[in-house]
Amino acid sequence: MSPISANIRSLTLTLAFAFLVTSIGAAYWTVLASDQLANDPFNPRLIAATNERPRGAIVDRSGASIATSEKTDTGFTRSYKDRSLAQVVGYASTRFGLSGVEAAYAESLIGQDPADPVSIWRARYLGDRAPAGQVVLGIDLKIQKAAADALGGRKGAILAMDPRTGAILASVSVPTYDANQIVDRSKQESAWAQVTADPGHPLLNRVTQGLYPPGSIFKVVTGAAALEAGFDPAKKLRVDDPYQADKSWGDYFVRSASRAHGLFDMSDGFRLSENIYFAQVGLEIGAARLTDYARRFGIGSTPKLDLAAAKGQLSDSGAIDRPTLLADTSYGQGELLVSPLQMALIYATIANGGVMPTAHYASEVRDNEGHVVREIAPGPQGQVISPTTAKTLTTMLVGAVAGPGAFAFGAKIPGVDVAGKTGTAENRPGQAPHGWFVGFAPAAAPTVVVAVIVENTLEGGVAAAPLGAQVMRAALGK
Amino acid sequence: MRAEATAPLGRARFTELSLLVWVAALAITGFVAVVATERSSFSPAALVVPLVFLVLMLALHVFLVSIRFRGDQLLLPIAAGLTAIGLVLVQRLASDLLFQQLSWSIIAAGAFAATIVVPRDLTALARFKWTWALLGVLLLIAPLLPVIGREINGARIWIKIGPGSFEPWEAVKILLVIFFAAYLEEYREVLSHSQRRIGPFPVPPVPYLVPIVAMWGIAMLVMVFEKDMGATVLFFGLFLAMLFLATGEAFYAVIGLGLLILGGFVAYQLFGHVQARVDTWIRPFDEDLRFDTGFQLVQGLYALANGGLFGAGLGNGMPDRIPVVWSDFVFDAFAEEAGLAGALALLALYLVFVYRGMLIALRAPTMFLQLLAAGLSFIVALQTLVIVGGNLRLIPLTGITLPFVAYGGSSLVTNWMLVGLLMRVSQVSGRIRGGGP
Repeated sequence: MSPISANIRSLTLTLAFAFLVTSIGAAYWTVLASDQLANDPFNPRLIAATNERPRGAIVDRSGASIATSEKTDTGFTRSYKDRSLAQVVGYASTRFGLSGVEAAYAESLIGQDPADPVSIWRARYLGDRAPAGQVVLGIDLKIQKAAADALGGRKGAILAMDPRTGAILASVSVPTYDANQIVDRSKQESAWAQVTADPGHPLLNRVTQGLYPPGSIFKVVTGAAALEAGFDPAKKLRVDDPYQADKSWGDYFVRSASRAHGLFDMSDGFRLSENIYFAQVGLEIGAARLTDYARRFGIGSTPKLDLAAAKGQLSDSGAIDRPTLLADTSYGQGELLVSPLQMALIYATIANGGVMPTAHYASEVRDNEGHVVREIAPGPQGQVISPTTAKTLTTMLVGAVAGPGAFAFGAKIPGVDVAGKTGTAENRPGQAPHGWFVGFAPAAAPTVVVAVIVENTLEGGVAAAPLGAQVMRAALGK
Repeated sequence: MRAEATAPLGRARFTELSLLVWVAALAITGFVAVVATERSSFSPAALVVPLVFLVLMLALHVFLVSIRFRGDQLLLPIAAGLTAIGLVLVQRLASDLLFQQLSWSIIAAGAFAATIVVPRDLTALARFKWTWALLGVLLLIAPLLPVIGREINGARIWIKIGPGSFEPWEAVKILLVIFFAAYLEEYREVLSHSQRRIGPFPVPPVPYLVPIVAMWGIAMLVMVFEKDMGATVLFFGLFLAMLFLATGEAFYAVIGLGLLILGGFVAYQLFGHVQARVDTWIRPFDEDLRFDTGFQLVQGLYALANGGLFGAGLGNGMPDRIPVVWSDFVFDAFAEEAGLAGALALLALYLVFVYRGMLIALRAPTMFLQLLAAGLSFIVALQTLVIVGGNLRLIPLTGITLPFVAYGGSSLVTNWMLVGLLMRVSQVSGRIRGGGP
């Protein structure tokens, strides 16, 4: 026996072990990780399916087409019907990948919905592709049109949602783009260069990803926190513009929108949108309680949604760490950043007896023959405030629309009680403020909540309220 | 008399011939599948390449029989099978390179035959060890020279002479195995039975350490100046493995690995190309990398994911989306179309090759031949593990070729010469033991 035979054997065993590890690596990527990678929106195989086979249709809640596949001489081409839904529906491009619903429900649209494992296994192991499925959105094209018409060419966003289910009924983000050009091979390069260079960011879905200071529409959070702390809404507070709590604020003052002097209760505070009233309420209940309620209402966390959504912030540091920031946050300024979706969810919670719904764009996945493969009904996220608090706030929000001298008068609808609140969100110095309106109707049993933001308008919330009314009328059939 | 009677049977090499029938089946079905899927029709012209290749392999077999070669009968069919898979994949992934690859396999077959015939006495190779070492070092630094050196895809590991360019590393690896085998046979006593120890660690006399440290230095130089991490790992890994084979001191291997990692770490801090490789390995899917340096790897992983258990079928996947797939990512391409089953079968072919080589090493009559056969087998194993591991994102990706399968002339020719050398060693083992394999 040669002296090195044992060494040869040890080396061979080491190599065999390395081959074993390599084989496990191969099994990991081909079988274990394959689901996730196969559905990665950038996987060219997923995208090639767009060209070679018809891709499933995307339809609204009544079955009207939003996106379809049409046969041409070079294969199947995607056709998008509604420009106002461009950021929601997205695009399925062989060049630029997938986005929006096209990405989020990519497997469903090629007949491999996760709720249908048989199709997935047949596709993977037998190369047998199921016919394309269909994705039904919660969008109602009638309400969508009303929202798109209401906003017109103004930069901003409108969201309509069913507060009971979280289904999104309309979603408009301006400026928008034409997804048909992104999927058209002859135009896609120039179209893409154009939309990505546009300073208005047309690819951004402002409804879910636009972040703005909320302004006065945030006052419901302060109000809810105070009511649940046992604060008496009928208690009158003295408002004298300009306001500071004590001399330590130096030359810093909270200003009243109406330069007010007088006694205010909470109803007055909402109706006349009195900053100084809510600043005092915030200082009375304290930073910990306000922070707690802001968190409960989802401020600073990413909302659950089937598409991408931004998380915003309570403040730059994530905490309310000084009295002036507490005062400013209490009436919706300070360093707050929220998306229209987050604000709609807060008002939906109030509309829904204190229970926050989970937002979702799609409501069903159907197979080729129209059978429902999967229902998308994520259910409520939980009780955020008590039903009593929700009721009290609703009453005051009705007053904020219909009461004497109410700021949100533009949202009134004849014959319907509308609950709502305008906001005029102060911006960076030198820029016109953003105008907000968030509200719901009918106040007694709400079926629609609407959030409107109009960017950089000198009129502020007054500009937004009538747009909210137009969308609610379409939703209520009035 | 009995030997006389069985001799014709032994010389007939039936095992080899019957295994080549399987290679024929593999090559023909592979080509038919790929061509039929691509063109949705089949023309007999598609069979020209596999038939030429099969005639070539049959010619090698007849050649071995005719010179009454009595060595191993498995290595030739395995190498032929792997080369056939390589040709099928070139047809699938880069059919414009098919003619070149076929020409290279003809040259490779010639080089194999030459290796079988030319060195009359293998042991004599050991006598010229310093010649091999010098030649190896010269070839290794040749790409750095002006005029003939070429930088391709960011690695300066090519030299261009006349119309063709080749990677000298491929030839160097065989020269180095011969040199190491000869050097270590001579000095293994001093290296492994050192009198001086520091704690449990053997300390060999300084003069014998010089070549070892010099090798490490050269490996690092290659990494830094030729920007080829694959060659560095292969080169240094071979050196450590052979040091271990000769001395049985796992300690050398551990220290060596430590030095390699240390060198790698310093290089990571200092050199952009090393940093890019490692970053790409750790987070290929990150926004900033997935369309940049990570693109190739990510596309490879997509291909693997599409493979599943049994694959998409030859011609039915989309491995062509991986950049330079025919040379760097053939393993992923094969795994996409043949699935996990095919990938494991491919790895098994390499493992059988390596086992066979190691068995030849165990049976070899002299220590030089043992080290030679084990070193050659190790090179095939390490090269396979490093490139497949890189394709599977188990280790950072390096641009070395998958032996026999990946497109590339210098690689194919030297690997076939390696097969020739292994078979020569197996023949000597057989002779000494007085019987056929």
